[in-house]
Amino acid sequence: MSFLLAALLVVSVTGDRTALINSYANEVRITSGNTSRVVKTAETPVDARFAGSDLFVIARDARRLERFDRNGGRAGIDLAADPAFIREAGGFLYVYSRLDGIIQEIDPERFTIRRRAALGPFASDFETDGKNGYLLFPRAAKLISFPLRTLKEERSTPAGAVPVDMTIVRRGSALSAATIAIADPAARRIWKVEGLQSVSGAFARGFVRGLLGLGLFAPRNTDFPTGIDRVESRGDVTVAFDSSSGTLYRLRGTKISIIATGIDGFALSEGAILITERGAVRRLQTQKTER
Amino acid sequence: MRLLLALLIAMPLAAQPSRIASDFEIAQMKDQLARSRDFVSQLSARLNLGDAYATRNEPSTARQEYAEASRIASAERIAARRIGDLTRYSTATSYAALAQAKLGRAESAFTLLEEATRYSADSAKSWNLYSSAMTLLRQPAKASSAARNAVAIATREVEATPSVANRLDLTIYQYSLASSLGDTAEAERLLRAATTSLRLRAFDDVRREAGRAESFEIYSTARGDSAAYLSILNRAGLRLASLLETRGEIARARDEYERVLETRTDDATALAALARLSDGDERERRFAEAFDANPFSMALVRDYQKYVAQTPPAVDGDSTGARVRGAIAQMEHGESRAARTTLDALIAEFPNNETLRTLRREAEGSAGVPEFLSGAADVIPTSASQRDLGDLLQLLAGDKLTSQQRTRLDELQFSGTAVFTTSVAGENQTTLESGTIEGVRFRFSEPTMFRGVFAASTPLRLAYRVLGATEVNGADALLLEPLGVEVSR
Repeated sequence: MSFLLAALLVVSVTGDRTALINSYANEVRITSGNTSRVVKTAETPVDARFAGSDLFVIARDARRLERFDRNGGRAGIDLAADPAFIREAGGFLYVYSRLDGIIQEIDPERFTIRRRAALGPFASDFETDGKNGYLLFPRAAKLISFPLRTLKEERSTPAGAVPVDMTIVRRGSALSAATIAIADPAARRIWKVEGLQSVSGAFARGFVRGLLGLGLFAPRNTDFPTGIDRVESRGDVTVAFDSSSGTLYRLRGTKISIIATGIDGFALSEGAILITERGAVRRLQTQKTER
Repeated sequence: MRLLLALLIAMPLAAQPSRIASDFEIAQMKDQLARSRDFVSQLSARLNLGDAYATRNEPSTARQEYAEASRIASAERIAARRIGDLTRYSTATSYAALAQAKLGRAESAFTLLEEATRYSADSAKSWNLYSSAMTLLRQPAKASSAARNAVAIATREVEATPSVANRLDLTIYQYSLASSLGDTAEAERLLRAATTSLRLRAFDDVRREAGRAESFEIYSTARGDSAAYLSILNRAGLRLASLLETRGEIARARDEYERVLETRTDDATALAALARLSDGDERERRFAEAFDANPFSMALVRDYQKYVAQTPPAVDGDSTGARVRGAIAQMEHGESRAARTTLDALIAEFPNNETLRTLRREAEGSAGVPEFLSGAADVIPTSASQRDLGDLLQLLAGDKLTSQQRTRLDELQFSGTAVFTTSVAGENQTTLESGTIEGVRFRFSEPTMFRGVFAASTPLRLAYRVLGATEVNGADALLLEPLGVEVSR
């Protein structure tokens, strides 16, 4: 079992900036090109997102969202209790706080909270596919889906034995709904389920697939030799991680291969897998790993 | 299994007066280790043993116990993960983190706690363990946030099911929160609510159960309702009293310490506090009781040193506590040789005790080498200051002089102001034996007759050589060879 300090690495959408979070020391190392700087945060930074030129950091134990701009400016707003995840969709930020199950929608430009809704406490992960939000509940073993437009639960789906992490593997299209991969360490399996789709979207999908003779889509699950508890996807690269052994797996369809062992954490960037080991970041080109 | 630890404070047990209070608890935990092989029994025993040794200032033994607790918890989490039992995995991970925190390994403790809460963010117990570990690691902001989560979750559970067990758990989490908040009004409010609610009728059954079983143990990691009840009642009372004492509300602090003693007559922390806050005879009595309950509390030792520096102590009895007090009194009154003898005997009985070793080092002294011992051979000093003579006495008593320094000392003659304790006058002659030279005790190797009449307690000019160290009435003293006496001018 690894006892090294877990360091969360967040990469900007464009891949040109990274934020390495040290939750214990209350600091984030922001790297852009060849320059990097360390900023102190409020108590216990646990997640972050780049939006525009700013970095937004959740300080869990201060119950604050902090904004750091390129010029060293810093501002903050209060969040609900036990904020854990921050995601970006449609130009807005969404923060999920576990204790009361609160989703807060934040305008990053004005840095104000626009809306809030209660969707159930103690989710172990929160993701969006751009239009919908998904919350994963390990105790109840279910996935709650809700449109970001309404912030109201629309569907509850069974999700394995003890689901703890998920990622959007594929965005929705006219032919398919979004595909969500769910890491379940108890079952040692990545479950794949379909995301939410509007009624008109589902109708159009059925019509087009029928027209093309494709039939209904049935995502396939992937089994692992150890209990994977993290999964992440970017572009056509999907990886799963067993944090108890520090083993990182690459998924190709239902096949898996080990690409690193004994590491602290990882992140996906454009064309590369970034690996954190003892506070340092190592870069693996995905092209190389594919050979 | 409930965790009450937030800060390591003394946790003595009712026992015979001559027995160290935690002896009984240590025996209980060793018995538990031998009888019960399950994870909870083994882990709680190791953690409690570590805490018991820590309060006795036996850090190496305490660390061994914590390391063993860490090993047990790690084995449990690996086994649980292997079979996919993630609730068990989460609990074991939290306890592995606590053991790491007790070992002072902050980052690994934090990493494990974060791992545990991924699987159990809905568990008040997990957040309480998180809070306790962060308090141990002096991270109050992280500790209080975690404790607030625990309190919020437990409050919902009490509202849904107001059982005694749930109420007890909530009180424990409120205590953890208060412990993380320091000296604040919110901490006082929480502690008052906790100590008041624990005395309500809702806990009558658990009080009766504790009475029937004649339970009195206080544990950091308590198993069962009655053990948890007694422990949290004790800890919350002590915490509240300490908070009031820190604020200078002495009368109210004393009342709270006395309330703790109503349920635990030999609580070392309460007794030490009352000794600190008392006057006159009560103070000596409280010190005696506190030392009997825990002779090795360094804070108690420091308090007692201040006390005996101003007040001649009345140390009697042969308990370990009395012997430690005796050694401290000997040191404060310059009887360092006797103190070393007392401490050496105690160290033989308690070889891993750091308090005794600290006192032993202090009894050795940290004397500097007087300049005249390292000076050029042709420079002959005619006088030595009180500080130089004091340092010289410590070096001689500790047999710390090098052979060169010894040879140099034999060459030197001094002259200084002496005050003799007694004088026996004859016909134009006086027999003198001991007194002080520049304020430092001395005596001659035998009573010596001088020509002239010299009164005791009068400053005289004494020419002398230093022969070594000896004792006067049990205290260290210089052994001098007199060369001549005259009236001081």
